[in-house]
Amino acid sequence: MSNPVTKNFAHYEDLRVGQQIDLGATKLTREMIVSFATRFDPFPFHLNERAANASLLGGLSASGWQTGAIALRMLLENFPEKLASAGGLGFKNLRWKRPVMVNDTIGGTVTIVALRRTKSNRQWGIATLDFDIRNQKGHTVMVMVLDNLVDVRDPSAPLEETAT
Amino acid sequence: MTRWYEDIEPGDRFDLGQHTFNEREIIEFSLRYDNQYFHTDPELAKHSHFQGIIASGWHTVCVGQRKLVDSLFAEEERLRARGQEPGVSGPSPGINEMSFKTPVRPGDTVSYVLIVSNKRVSNSIPGWGLLFNRMEATNQRGEAVYCAEFVGFSKLRDFRPSFKQRLAMWAAKFPLLRTLFKK
Repeated sequence: MSNPVTKNFAHYEDLRVGQQIDLGATKLTREMIVSFATRFDPFPFHLNERAANASLLGGLSASGWQTGAIALRMLLENFPEKLASAGGLGFKNLRWKRPVMVNDTIGGTVTIVALRRTKSNRQWGIATLDFDIRNQKGHTVMVMVLDNLVDVRDPSAPLEETAT
Repeated sequence: MTRWYEDIEPGDRFDLGQHTFNEREIIEFSLRYDNQYFHTDPELAKHSHFQGIIASGWHTVCVGQRKLVDSLFAEEERLRARGQEPGVSGPSPGINEMSFKTPVRPGDTVSYVLIVSNKRVSNSIPGWGLLFNRMEATNQRGEAVYCAEFVGFSKLRDFRPSFKQRLAMWAAKFPLLRTLFKK
């Protein structure tokens, strides 16, 4: 059961509801936006100004998937310790509230809003993470609620909510 | 799919094609965006419950987005070849739900399918409709990789703006007037 890689990582028992992680700041340059969009989301409004100005977005802006990918990276980089994650289960209510335009700087917070053990597998708990991604003006650009499996240090512990 | 809003019906199904994930691209994506040992290090990944390296879920979804956009352009080409004017797909306001079901391992081939589940005219943006789509990604063994509920904007062909809307659209060309109309 013990995993030598994650032995010293933060486990389910180390997390608490209400814990908030500040994501720092990432500036999205034109080059970053176009290179991501070329590979994964080549809509003209993510690739060139002319098409972008004529679109609903009103200017060249990042793929929403890039905003999410960078949010994920910022979470992993800014988590106080490495997390004994066992993979993501999925997410709900992802909303791209505003476009992220060229040279915008994104940051924001991730808050642990719920922690629960799984009945089907005592080895894991589920951490519910609330993403609030903002631009340099403080406007929310993206939100989502992600469920992630986290290793439990002591799987024999009774299945009850951890103290918060 | 780059059809006009009016030409898309619930139940319509679009095969978006498939992609085979190799270890190099799985590691490359993960080092950049999802740097966890079971996505980036084949040796360390053996200690995880996955017992080997798997793709970041975000990676499998980004490839799905690429397949979707490629299919939209292919449809556009087909319509133009038939002398028809293609519709316009807009950006997506969001994803209602995304569930990751089975991990993707190096060598797995994932097929992507989009099924239209519902549609309605947008309340907030005149001239546009909203499509509610279900995306299903399946591996070569027929196991679900992920399924998701997407929302996307699609332009109306038969849109006749009211006098007030025409005035607002004209005013939107001038920044000062635009702020007046937003109030």
